[in-house]
Amino acid sequence: MKKYSFLLFGTLFGFLLSRAGATTYDFYAKLFLFEDLQLLWIIATAATVGAIGVWLFKKFKVKSMMDQAPVAFIGKPNKPDLIPGSLIFGMGWGLAGACPGTVLAMLGEGKMGALFTIAGIIVGTFLYGVRVSVRQRKAAQGNA
Amino acid sequence: MTEVIVWEGWVGGLVIGAYLLFQWLVTGKTLGVSSGYNSVCSMVSKTDYFHKGIFGEANNWKLWFILGLPLGGFLSAVTSPGDVVMSFSLGEMYDSVFPESLWAKGGVLLLGGIMIGYGSRMAGGCPSGHSIAGMSMLNPPSILASVGFFVGGIIMVQVLFGIL
Repeated sequence: MKKYSFLLFGTLFGFLLSRAGATTYDFYAKLFLFEDLQLLWIIATAATVGAIGVWLFKKFKVKSMMDQAPVAFIGKPNKPDLIPGSLIFGMGWGLAGACPGTVLAMLGEGKMGALFTIAGIIVGTFLYGVRVSVRQRKAAQGNA
Repeated sequence: MTEVIVWEGWVGGLVIGAYLLFQWLVTGKTLGVSSGYNSVCSMVSKTDYFHKGIFGEANNWKLWFILGLPLGGFLSAVTSPGDVVMSFSLGEMYDSVFPESLWAKGGVLLLGGIMIGYGSRMAGGCPSGHSIAGMSMLNPPSILASVGFFVGGIIMVQVLFGIL
């Protein structure tokens, strides 16, 4: 039941991304040409509101309604691939004028170029998974 | 191309920040999109990487979340004043530098998508997980990744609109 509720959360988030201008291609070009910082303001304001909220959640040990347990704020770990990965992501972000979430909302708006970008994201994710598996297999053979 | 209503940046950011906290409050789950594509890959691939943790089952919350996103985009489009138009246009700026032929344009977008998919897995997240949720937790790797996203975007767009 819980997982199906995320269809509604996704719908709400997709709607908000669209209203935020994050599904408008031009805003990406204008951001990285420093002509219009709409999307930077979105991220900066959202992260600021989020940071205040996280502080309050921790201070009052706020429990999530579904888990009945205090929200666990677990940050993503650092790893050697983080910087090169973020640069590659950024170049794709600027090239396609979209990111993994916004491109799906774009599709819903009728921006059909999203089909190519979505296909690319699936291929890119797949290639990474294969690379990781090949590395692990080699490492396992090395130990054998 | 569909023209949607766009709120002022600070209003949009305020509401998205509130959404992030709302999702935490109700579900306890941290906002993040890009790993949802692992669910899609897990349906076609037996590769171990796509079957770890919550991805042991393709039918997981991240999959349902990304399935909702197009619905939200559609809802935004139909509640905006203009018509909902199905179009391959990328808007004035990108159309001015991209090839006109649909397949060439699609090829560029496909390449962009591959970089987004591969890069987000290398970095362990995308702007929603690293820049919005991660920076809210003041998590140093997320701050670093967010800087990397922007630097990569600036390099690509400056080349795209400067040299091409």
